[in-house]
Amino acid sequence: MSQSLSVPASQERGAASPTAMSDRWFSILLIVPAMLVILVFALLPLAYALDVSFRFADLTRGRIGDFVGLDNYRAVLHDRAFWSSVGVTLKFTLTAVTLEMVLGIAIAFLIHGATAGKGIIRSLMILPLATSAAVTGLFWRYLYDTQFGLINHFLGLVGLPEPNWLGDYTIALWSVILFDVWQWTPFVALIALAGLQALPKEPFEAAELDGASTFRVLRTLTFPMLKPVLFLVLVLRTIDSVRLYDAVAVLTRGGPGTVTETMTFYLYRTGLKLFRMDYASTMAIFFLYAMLVASLFALRPLLTQFSSRASEG
Amino acid sequence: MLQRESSFAKEALRYGLIVLVLGFIVFPIAWMIITSFKPADAIMVSPPRFLFTPTLENYVHAIYDKNFLFYIKNTLFISVASTIIVVVTGSLAAYSFARYNVGDGHLLFFILSTKMFPAIAVILPYFLIFREVGKTGIGSFLGIGLDRPGALIISYTVFNLPFAIWLLVSFFQDIPRELEHSARLDGLSRLKVLAKVVCPLAAPGIAVTGVFTLIFSWNEFLFAYILTRKAASTVTVGVESFFTLQGILWGPVAAAATISVLPMLVFVLAMQRYMVRGLTFGAVRG
Repeated sequence: MSQSLSVPASQERGAASPTAMSDRWFSILLIVPAMLVILVFALLPLAYALDVSFRFADLTRGRIGDFVGLDNYRAVLHDRAFWSSVGVTLKFTLTAVTLEMVLGIAIAFLIHGATAGKGIIRSLMILPLATSAAVTGLFWRYLYDTQFGLINHFLGLVGLPEPNWLGDYTIALWSVILFDVWQWTPFVALIALAGLQALPKEPFEAAELDGASTFRVLRTLTFPMLKPVLFLVLVLRTIDSVRLYDAVAVLTRGGPGTVTETMTFYLYRTGLKLFRMDYASTMAIFFLYAMLVASLFALRPLLTQFSSRASEG
Repeated sequence: MLQRESSFAKEALRYGLIVLVLGFIVFPIAWMIITSFKPADAIMVSPPRFLFTPTLENYVHAIYDKNFLFYIKNTLFISVASTIIVVVTGSLAAYSFARYNVGDGHLLFFILSTKMFPAIAVILPYFLIFREVGKTGIGSFLGIGLDRPGALIISYTVFNLPFAIWLLVSFFQDIPRELEHSARLDGLSRLKVLAKVVCPLAAPGIAVTGVFTLIFSWNEFLFAYILTRKAASTVTVGVESFFTLQGILWGPVAAAATISVLPMLVFVLAMQRYMVRGLTFGAVRG
């Protein structure tokens, strides 16, 4: 990693062009364009959002207004709709991610044990990941349709109840979860499968010679060795789920009532439907803070672990 | 895992389950494509009809009446432009991170944390800023502002750059340093080494990163939905235009959705060797 590409000075003098510069300057020059993009277009807007969060900004009454201190923060913390959207988000994340992890890992084992056809199986599994949630999600409304939908048609054929998938207060969030599980379980399965296939063979052969039970092999060998990969998938899925917007926007628009209104969707509604930019910006700052803490404590150690292993190997 | 003799019944069960899982995964997409070829009188019927005479009328409706190719054209322009910027600036930065370890890992992680930003957090400032910039002469000259392509090009560049840098770093790390060393000893400048030795070797990785960026931009919805109205709208927003007062026109929706999803399906299938690596920011090399 730290080893640089500089050539010993004695050789460099004869070899390099007159514009020769140090490694340090060269390396800094290379990152300037990307850093500029990120600083200007990611950090400046955030600074702007931070500024708005301390002001009165009701766009229906004109421009961004006066400094109001922490009023917006107080208001958001006392806003029951905000907390309810946090609740919906947590419920969605917990259920969807758990289902995706469990099913995904199970599917990975299922495919890993298959003797033939792995290539075609993998190709088919990738498909949902290529599609946009906004487009396929919209089409899922047709599948969920109470009158013309295929799902209820099949349920009816086997004599099961035919629920109102998107209109029923108790079911709507589950319908959004089911769609998310459809789209993202293959993601978990693919990565878990890659992890399984990268495991070294020797420990498993040794365990077999010792006559260890399948359960014991799973518990003492497979899962401990898979843990880093699985944990990475878990963190990536969680971060994505907390930000859920597209599926809600096309499937339920937060309804019925607000039972599927996630944090992102409530933030969008507050800022761009009710035009309370001040409250919305405050929520954005809360949200951002939570994500930064999460990625600092969960994602960073993980990725560092992976990249150091890669550069050793 | 264990190389045990597995009976025929066990194998049959395994493949039965696999077929079931694949059915669940593929079915919604397949049904969407099937619906796109259904005549109108076979779509809004109960029970759903599985046999019908295929027709192209939904495609005709989507393309001629709803002008769906307009959205395709917008999306293509916006995603390609943003992908080019991402790949060029991203490759330079990633090479620097992979070889010179600028910022000792901290900078690289800072870049990743911007990827973790919830897009919605920057959307409000983007909305306000682009609204103001759009009113100025510079804004209209550069095509930046609400409902202008520049706004989305910028958004997609910012949001894909961190991902691209991480993935590219993993590809650059795979290139053996010895080649660069010997090229340097042969008298090539650092820039020439990068252009003539490293880039050709990294080309597959750069291409993979580019395709990922293209797919993400193509499928993006939130920015497109909020920052555009009509003139600069992309496919994901365009599909929404099929909502009418009479309800959703499912046939044309399916046709439009198929048109917009198909190119990405092809890309993803072509790239499947790199899917795992791409989806984990280069961490799992699959």
